[in-house]
Amino acid sequence: MRPAAGRRIWIVIAAYNEAQVIAHVVADVRRHGYRVVVVDDGSADATAEAAAKAGAMVVQHPVNLGQGAALQTGIELALREGADHVVTFDADGQHRAADIAVLLDALAGANADFALGSRFLGASINLPPSRRLLLQAATWFTRVTTGMLVTDTHNGLRAMTRRGAQRIKLRQNRMAHASELLDQIGRSGLTYVEVPVTIEYSAYSLAKGQKLGDSLDILVDLSAQKLHR
Amino acid sequence: MIAQVILSILLLGIVLYAYHEYRRAPAIALVATLAAGTGLYFVWIPAHATLLAEAVGIGRGVDLVLYIWVAISLLVLVNLHLKLRTQMEVITVLARELALAKAHATSTPK
Repeated sequence: MRPAAGRRIWIVIAAYNEAQVIAHVVADVRRHGYRVVVVDDGSADATAEAAAKAGAMVVQHPVNLGQGAALQTGIELALREGADHVVTFDADGQHRAADIAVLLDALAGANADFALGSRFLGASINLPPSRRLLLQAATWFTRVTTGMLVTDTHNGLRAMTRRGAQRIKLRQNRMAHASELLDQIGRSGLTYVEVPVTIEYSAYSLAKGQKLGDSLDILVDLSAQKLHR
Repeated sequence: MIAQVILSILLLGIVLYAYHEYRRAPAIALVATLAAGTGLYFVWIPAHATLLAEAVGIGRGVDLVLYIWVAISLLVLVNLHLKLRTQMEVITVLARELALAKAHATSTPK
């Protein structure tokens, strides 16, 4: 399925040391007809070169800043390029490019500004029980702190309208950005819709994914942000 | 008397520091001011410190003053952490602008 003519849809992929898989991910998204920007977050390997060869526009952070910072950079670039829709997509190959169209259709159908992918409404393949428990705890925490009744808080597959993207200003450089983004959506008064998507874990993506120790970092980051302006 | 003066100067320094930090971290500044004010009160009226210390099971008033000092030190530490975060945010903005300025299309997306 190709995007409708005239729509300027940009797919933002934050990547750090993903040379092994990034070309395949970019090529898959490009096959569906989307513009892709890969934000190379100070990788030590050939991520940038591989992404560029696969057809992505590449932006390189001079130092590693974190996934949240990379996504914000990608969103800003997409907006400067005139995007009318922005989609965030993981670099490790666990998302399906076919789901992008589903998210965009949901945005249009619900007349919403954000479409949030949910693996718990859709499917998660090879998701280990310990990771499921961690994600559900994070979802519970987000529901309590933001009041948003979402079913999946740390899913990197999301679509937003230009208006929605302009309202997002991620200050959390690292993994806490996912909770911060939901908090900003909740505060913005803009509408969102959850959309079932499929996440397929591989040994590679599980090795790169969040660990139990990361949840403590996220809590510290979120708490610190509440204490200062 | 000399110790009281020295402690008072240090605690007043904390109040000034809190005032300076109020715009950036109001919660930290308010708690630090409260702690420093409490410390000043007990430095000059140690009998009340002893009464309160006995009531909460610390033992001696002078220990209470020391505990307050430790609490203030921890607050300053937290504030230092927040300052480092602010610095990181500035670095992030600079790095982002640099990256966007250098952005180049190695392929032209259609």
